[in-house]
Amino acid sequence: MIERILGLGRRGCDVLEALGRSALFLAQAAVGVPSREGWYLWLRQMHFVGVLSLAIVIVSGLFIGMVLALQGYTILVDFGAEQALGQMVALSLLRELSPVVAALLFAGRAGSALTAEIGLMKATEQLTSMEMIGVDPLRRVVAPRLWAGFVALPLLTIGFSVVGVYGGYLVGVEWLGVFEGSYWGNMQASVDFIDDVGNGMIKSLVFALVVTWIAVFQGYDLVPTAEGISRATTRTVVYSSLAVLGLDFVLTAVMFGGFS
Amino acid sequence: MIDSPLVEVKGLHFSRGEKTIFSGVELQIPRGRITAIMGPSGTGKTTLLKLIGGQLVPDVGRVLIDGHDVHALSRKALFGLRRRMGMLFQSGALFSDLSVFENVAFPLRVHTDLPEAMVRDLVLMKLQAVGLRGARELMPSELSGGMARRVALARAIALDPDLVLYDEPFVGQDPISKGVLVQLIKKLNQALGLTSVVVSHDIPEALSIADYVYVIADGEVMAHGTPTSLDVDQDPRVSQFVHGEPDGPVPFHYPAPEFYRDILNQEGRS
Amino acid sequence: MKRSKTMELGVGLFMLAGILGLLFLGLRVSGLTFTMPTDTFRLEANFANIGSLKPRARVTMAGVTVGRVTAIELDTDWYDARVILELDAELEGQLSRDTTAAILTAGLLGEQYIGLTVGGDPEMLVDGDTIRDTQSAIVLEELIQQFVSNMVSD
Repeated sequence: MIERILGLGRRGCDVLEALGRSALFLAQAAVGVPSREGWYLWLRQMHFVGVLSLAIVIVSGLFIGMVLALQGYTILVDFGAEQALGQMVALSLLRELSPVVAALLFAGRAGSALTAEIGLMKATEQLTSMEMIGVDPLRRVVAPRLWAGFVALPLLTIGFSVVGVYGGYLVGVEWLGVFEGSYWGNMQASVDFIDDVGNGMIKSLVFALVVTWIAVFQGYDLVPTAEGISRATTRTVVYSSLAVLGLDFVLTAVMFGGFS
Repeated sequence: MIDSPLVEVKGLHFSRGEKTIFSGVELQIPRGRITAIMGPSGTGKTTLLKLIGGQLVPDVGRVLIDGHDVHALSRKALFGLRRRMGMLFQSGALFSDLSVFENVAFPLRVHTDLPEAMVRDLVLMKLQAVGLRGARELMPSELSGGMARRVALARAIALDPDLVLYDEPFVGQDPISKGVLVQLIKKLNQALGLTSVVVSHDIPEALSIADYVYVIADGEVMAHGTPTSLDVDQDPRVSQFVHGEPDGPVPFHYPAPEFYRDILNQEGRS
Repeated sequence: MKRSKTMELGVGLFMLAGILGLLFLGLRVSGLTFTMPTDTFRLEANFANIGSLKPRARVTMAGVTVGRVTAIELDTDWYDARVILELDAELEGQLSRDTTAAILTAGLLGEQYIGLTVGGDPEMLVDGDTIRDTQSAIVLEELIQQFVSNMVSD
């Protein structure tokens, strides 16, 4: 029994220690002094995590919007309220689905790649040799990736929403015959820019920070072997998915839960 | 001052977790010479280089480079000191997202504000020295192991350091590349007046270029001297290592119960 | 460092697309408009019950949107709801004093909005005036209650 409690205590200490280390790591990486070089490194990572993730996000957004419209229509039509379809599609996308699904896709597409890339750089001693040359790898390698992720995911989320709303329009208006005016009109009457679009963006920024942070930290902290890299990549996807879903609940409760 | 050693390691103790790696290592690395640090695999030779480079902190003991205690320096001063050090990693450790040219130019761009034309001239000079001027547009993934190590060498000497640390430069190389690297290390040492530290367990190569040799085993310096004096050393451990005998004081067998008892032991079977 | 124009272009387009997307979300999805404040004028209307009318709800006239609800507050003199409307400036001086404002519902479950109907008074409403003739929201529960009590008394 005592053994178990001891073990639990040890686990707890390990977790706390890892948390502390990753917080320190974030603080050190985030305050990199931006230089012209740094700007360019950031640009390159933006291309990697942002532009190259665009396709999967756009396609998923389109399908999610279409499915929402289809499902929403079959429910709303029973109440004769199919003109509220636009409202339903837009609110579910802006408040929940875009930030969450885009973040999950981002964790799978870009987060795992970031972990593997940094892990491989560690395994091949590139990070150590950078340090020996007198360059801090936190600034040179980690900071641009962290900032690129932080900027790219909200942009991807916007793209997801736009495409999703359009996908809902395609199915709802073009296929199922909801009146176009009421699709947009209802949407505009019920969506508030600050409350819905703004809060969705705040969610997205939080998710962006958490997912990229987990990804780069797992890469930086892994055991530099082939097995270590594959484990860290899995951990990145698992931890960031859980973190996104958990935080989403907390943020939703604070933003829309009426605790004000 | 000229004759004082560039690197001094005093009473170094280091352990990783439960495992003691060094227990009181004393080293003196003379200026302008090639010093080889040898020892069986797993004795922490690479760890020793990392301690000298300031990446690891010893439990007890000091590492002095040119009179500065490496582990008492601020982060900034340490990075400044590293400008005067080059390190060649076992794997080469070239930055995989940069071309050969950019890899060699990297330290120059980071530490100097030289105009682009001068960076280009310097990089081409260094690449010429390792014979890979023609490969400057290639990416590290397109290089063979030996070529990658030569590029890494060019990068290590890009800033004309005082001290170059070589971590197992000969491991996994074919005889031709080994020969090339031996030649390069020797030539660069003479031409640039470098102090070189070569960590290796490739005895013939290391002995052929070293001016002075330290043999490390069991966390301590087991023997030191010139290559010729080590060759005739009477200590059985030294002679086993230097002559590459399979069995001796360092046993061939991993510790185990006696063979016949292990064979006859029925408990393991079911 | 070697620069790649296509990559720079890609990132540039990506960020531009993000900004345009945000604009789309603002204008098309949440219906923000860039009209100047001078383009509107304010009217007030008191309702006994606003139902679930919310700020930013539409104000229509013959089904055409002519403005928005900007604020809803409790009028402590009368203990009813004071609704502030912002209407297109071109309607200023065009609406008669006896214009009616009614809270209507789009469909059975749709959002609530305000419908205006002009009367025949020769005097016109100007900025800051109050619409006297109002019709409260129809609250479904009250309707049912009325219906049930009528049934019982019959």
